[in-house]
Amino acid sequence: MSELLSRFRFPLTYLVLALLCVLSMSSRREPAEMTLGSQALLEVTVPLQQMVTLPVRELRDLWDDYVALVGLRERLDELETKNAKLQEENLRLQEAVVASERFERIESFIGERKLIPSNVIGQDLSPWFKSITLDQGAEAGVRPGMPVITDSGLVGVVAGTTPRFSRVLLITDPQSRIDTYVQRTRARGAVHGNADGSCSFQYILREQDLRTGDQLLTSGLGGIYPKGLRLGSVSAVERKPYGLFQSADIEPAVKFEQLEEVFVIPERRELPSEDEFANEDEELWAVGEGATAPPAAPPAGATPPAATTPPATTPPPPATPDARPEE
Amino acid sequence: MIFFQVRLIGVGICLLLGQTLAQHLPEWLRPDLVLIFALAMGLRLRGTGALILAFTFGLIFDLGSGALPGLYAFLRGTACAATRLFDRALYLRAPVPWAIYVLAYTVIDALLMCAVVGFFVPGSTLTWESILTSLPGMAIFTALLAAPLLGVFQRLDPESSPQAAWGLLARGRSRL
Repeated sequence: MSELLSRFRFPLTYLVLALLCVLSMSSRREPAEMTLGSQALLEVTVPLQQMVTLPVRELRDLWDDYVALVGLRERLDELETKNAKLQEENLRLQEAVVASERFERIESFIGERKLIPSNVIGQDLSPWFKSITLDQGAEAGVRPGMPVITDSGLVGVVAGTTPRFSRVLLITDPQSRIDTYVQRTRARGAVHGNADGSCSFQYILREQDLRTGDQLLTSGLGGIYPKGLRLGSVSAVERKPYGLFQSADIEPAVKFEQLEEVFVIPERRELPSEDEFANEDEELWAVGEGATAPPAAPPAGATPPAATTPPATTPPPPATPDARPEE
Repeated sequence: MIFFQVRLIGVGICLLLGQTLAQHLPEWLRPDLVLIFALAMGLRLRGTGALILAFTFGLIFDLGSGALPGLYAFLRGTACAATRLFDRALYLRAPVPWAIYVLAYTVIDALLMCAVVGFFVPGSTLTWESILTSLPGMAIFTALLAAPLLGVFQRLDPESSPQAAWGLLARGRSRL
């Protein structure tokens, strides 16, 4: 028997060990706690593995962070080029979005009106005068004296034309004078440009109620500008202790430094009478965000609110030579 | 002989750690060092000592691999037994037949593993088709390392001749 065992010791040992393995495999199909022996074995082997793995990881990090970066210069150049192209494309797309929004605003502003759209292609070369050049001229129907507007408000008046171009005198030009009224109180005065590019509201009677934030609209008197075009808002009121009039600084409704597209109103206004000016039912060119048409005349017999009632006794401002440019 | 076995255990542990290092190689390039060790022990050691060592290292491998408990113990023990069985018939003590044998057995071992896992874990995704892509490269790389490793075992054997080519071919049968 012992000789037999000795002779077949190897295959028998194999069979016993293999059987143990099979039993182990068949009994542990589901996750379960390890035996104490397995735990002890694992506790010994894992630190050994860590001793090997950690230096390898450090070496790999060293390689990845330093040695492998040697060839990255070309890659960096390539990515920088790509980044520049993407930034350029992004800029173009942003510009397209801004233009699209602007065109939508312009489209809603134009509505049924007959206007001559035009692009601003030049600025006044002189630092003392404020004018712009448009890419539409006499061939497009532009004539001197036609008002120029944007969706924000009044820009100026056409001062001269060529067949293909026209020059517009801005309301901020020192030569500009525009008969104006305050939307809230109907008080009249004149807006004129200053040499520094700002606007002033002058010749308002001293007793008139003028406040910061009041909206100023063209009166339509003078035969150039239609009534109701927005000029801007009062930014500061100056009332001296003497004199007949008060004055104010104006924040123009139009951002002249950002002008790109404007519209020429292809009509020359006739000089309205004082009665026409006082008529609240007159159609207004109410343009600009803050510009709204004055409230309609109250029905007969009703007492209109004092603030919206035009002062019947308001005299026309003296020495207001209308908004006619000094050509 | 005991001294030789103790050194073999040291080598086996080194190979286990080497197997840890091999995990950082691409999957198709990972040699199975413990399989070489198990096969070589079937070639070098007499008696059941080789078998027990092979099972033990297979068990350690099981603990580190997350496989079925006992799977690698079974596979490595079987590898050791198979080498002992085929040694005489295939003349495995020459480098080239030894490398070819390791190459073939690496494939057989993988197929056997798939069969065992498929038997004990129904629905397992470890199928023959799934290992076909990485198996050839792994088998070739294992075979390439087989002969040098057997040379290392030969150097550890105090009774081998250091002048002999591979130390195995010249005196192989006298040890069995």
